[in-house]
Parts: sequence; structure tokens; C-alpha cells
Amino acid sequence: MTDPDSFVPQDSKAQAENEGGCDVGRRRLLAMAGGVAVLALAPGVTVWASTFRAKGAVDADPVRYGLLIDANHCQGGCDACVRACKQYNGLSGKTGPDNAQWIRKVTIQDPKTGFTRNFPVMCQHCAKPACVAVCPTGASFRRADGIVLVDKHRCIGCRYCLMACPYQARSFVAHKVDDQRPRAPRGKGTAEGCTLCVERVDRGKPPACVAACARRGHKAMLFGNLHDPQSAIAKRLAQYASTTIRADLGMEPGVHYRGI
Amino acid sequence: MRARALAIAISVVAVLLAALWFTHKGPVPRPLIAQARGHCVVNPSRMRRIHMMWLRQVRMRVVRYGVALRADRLTRCISCHVQKNAQGQAIPINAPGQFCSTCHVYAGVKVDCFACHAAVPEPAFAPGHFSGAHHIQAAFLWPRVLPRHFKASLSRAAP
Ligand code: SF4
Ligand code: SF4
Repeated sequence: MTDPDSFVPQDSKAQAENEGGCDVGRRRLLAMAGGVAVLALAPGVTVWASTFRAKGAVDADPVRYGLLIDANHCQGGCDACVRACKQYNGLSGKTGPDNAQWIRKVTIQDPKTGFTRNFPVMCQHCAKPACVAVCPTGASFRRADGIVLVDKHRCIGCRYCLMACPYQARSFVAHKVDDQRPRAPRGKGTAEGCTLCVERVDRGKPPACVAACARRGHKAMLFGNLHDPQSAIAKRLAQYASTTIRADLGMEPGVHYRGI
Repeated sequence: MRARALAIAISVVAVLLAALWFTHKGPVPRPLIAQARGHCVVNPSRMRRIHMMWLRQVRMRVVRYGVALRADRLTRCISCHVQKNAQGQAIPINAPGQFCSTCHVYAGVKVDCFACHAAVPEPAFAPGHFSGAHHIQAAFLWPRVLPRHFKASLSRAAP
């Protein structure tokens, strides 16, 4: 308890969120670990609302950041989003097995009809992220606003998350890096993935890819708070049909697609 | 017999002491730290003692809870303490003889920060670049994080 880095209740909270809640026995255990009176558990969940979340409570979070990507507007051959990401986050832009990729342009084609679509794919900022579930150190975590990050201070480079993520959104930094951007720390021996440009988001700006797409005039990407009914993204999602990639996996991505 | 052993032991010790006397170069000089621009976010003498705990706490709050204040930025430490070379380029702050390494070499403590963090400021990243006001929007996390966090920090007061 004296070490802020092993601060049990906070970590357990992240865990509980990402598992969509946990059983009562485990909660009681966490309660004792956190030094909170176990009796407080009995009357109801309200006491817990401040520390641990009830099952399914991700939907009740005031903020959940996400993206809506409109493949109808995404142009083949345009890689403005990928280059903006590379530039902002100091990535090499190479696509070899050793190179980190946070966002990729993907082309899909219906072999029968030849119908083709382009769209970017990045970390889907899942509500139930596999990367967080498998991480042995708590380095992979989901912020309370829904952004899934790697806390590189804790990452031991085991690469479990690279294996677990069905979207192949995680990369591993295998070599020494010394040209990091001050706002995007990254280094050898840690996993990384799209951060939704968390530093920009915290300053009230959209992610670099979204800004670049808008600058290019395509406006195929929309960033916002999925849980605010007044936000542009929530309105758009309510208005048009959209989908998430591999929704069948039940990880509830925060990145929605239209027109795929 | 015993007197002879004692005499040998004494002469060995004497030789060792003499060797020490003639080879030792006095205490390791205190590190010379370059003057920073601007004012430290914490009283410098206190910062010297607590910066390691301070950084550990701040990184927790910023990375995991998204509550970043103006004073929290490692980039700000670097912008104030970085030195320029003759060409006006920033020298990495962990390079030999620079702000971080001077003390850390003296104290024999490895700095790990710059394996991931940039050791030079971004050109357009002068001190005072952040207004800090934007970060308040992340404050919805604050009430349920801060009290516990501060308690943890109080229990880790300076050594
Ligand atoms: S897309 Fe992959 S890396 Fe991103 S949150 Fe989901 S499981 Fe984790
Ligand atoms: S590589 Fe790092 S973030 Fe990924 S599972 Fe291992 S410790 Fe967690």
C-alpha cells in the first residue's frame, strides 16, 4: 500500500472494468486488499460505485471515446491518416515484422463481385479488451474514458497482448529507439498500439489521423464521446447503420465502421 | 611465534594503509549542476530529495488516470534544464555531464526514463507551452482517484 505503483484498489478497478465486473468473492478479496470495510459490500453496490464498477457498467460511464470510420468516404490510395500517425507518434513508417504499426489501411474485396472497400484499422479500444485480460502485469489497461493503453512503466515485454488481440493492433518495439517524440514516449522491450493520441485528446483535440483525414477533405473519420447523446458521433451512430469489426468476438470495440 | 605473526599482520596492514594513502585522490568532487531556466515546480532542495517518488506518482496519475497538470510534464523539466551546444542544438539531458547524468553518475544510480522518453525538448515545445486548462476536462476522474492517491503519496514522504 505504500508503493503508489502497486496500488491495489486502482489496479483491481481497471481489471474489474475490463472483465465487465467480477464475482462477489473476488470483490470481497479486493475489498480487503484495498483496506475498505467488507461490511460496506452487503447493503448494495452504491458504496462500490466510486471504486469498483458493477457488471455492464462500462455502458454507464460518462465518457467513452471512440471513432466512426465511414468507408464510403475513405479513398483508395490515400494514406493521410497513416502518415499523420507516424509523424505525430514518431513511428518509422516501415511495415516489416520489426516495425511498430499503430494504424493500417486495409483493402477488402468481395471475390464474387469485385466490390472493393478501403478503410483504416487501428486499436479498436475495446470495452472488453483481450490485451488487458491477458496482460500479466497490469500494463495493458483501459482508462476510465475507454482508451486502451500500455503503461510502459509496467510492461515487461512478454508480448501476450500481441498474441491476444484479434485485430493485430499491438506492436512490439524490438530495437533501441532514440528519436521519440516528447509527447509519445516509446522504447525497446515494450508493447504499444494506437493510443487514440491520448495526449491530444487530453488537450481537447481529436486524434492526429482524424485531423489529417479532415484536412485532406475526406472527413471519413469522426472522433468523439460515444456516451454523450449530444455528440456528433453519437448522433451519427444513431442515424445510420454501422458495424464493428468481428463483433462476434464480443469485445465491443469503440471503433465503429460504416459502409463495410 | 605469536609475536612474529603479529608483526607480519601489522606490517601488511601498514603497507595497505600506505598504498591507500598514496593512491587516494581525495573525495569525488561534488557534481556541478548547470543553472536551469525558470523556477522549479517544487522547491529545488526538496525536489532533489523527492523527485523519484514524485515522478512515480505523477506518472501513475497521468498515464493511468489521464489527469495531467501543467507541472506534471517531464517535457517541462527537460525544457528548463536542457543545455544547448555551440550550434544551438539541445544536448540530450542524460548525456554525460548533463543535468540528469551529473548527479546520477555521482550517486551511482541508473536513469531509465530516457529509454522511452525523449531526452531533448521538441523545438516548438518551450516552457509554458501548455496552458493546462485543457486538462481539466479529464477531471471527471479526479474525485474517485485523488483522495486515495494523495494518501498514498503522504505515506511516502521524503526519506
Ligand atoms: S483492439 Fe486489440 S489492442 Fe486494442 S483494445 Fe482491443 S484487444 Fe486491446
Ligand atoms: S507485452 Fe507488456 S502490455 Fe503486453 S501483455 Fe506483456 S506486459 Fe502486458
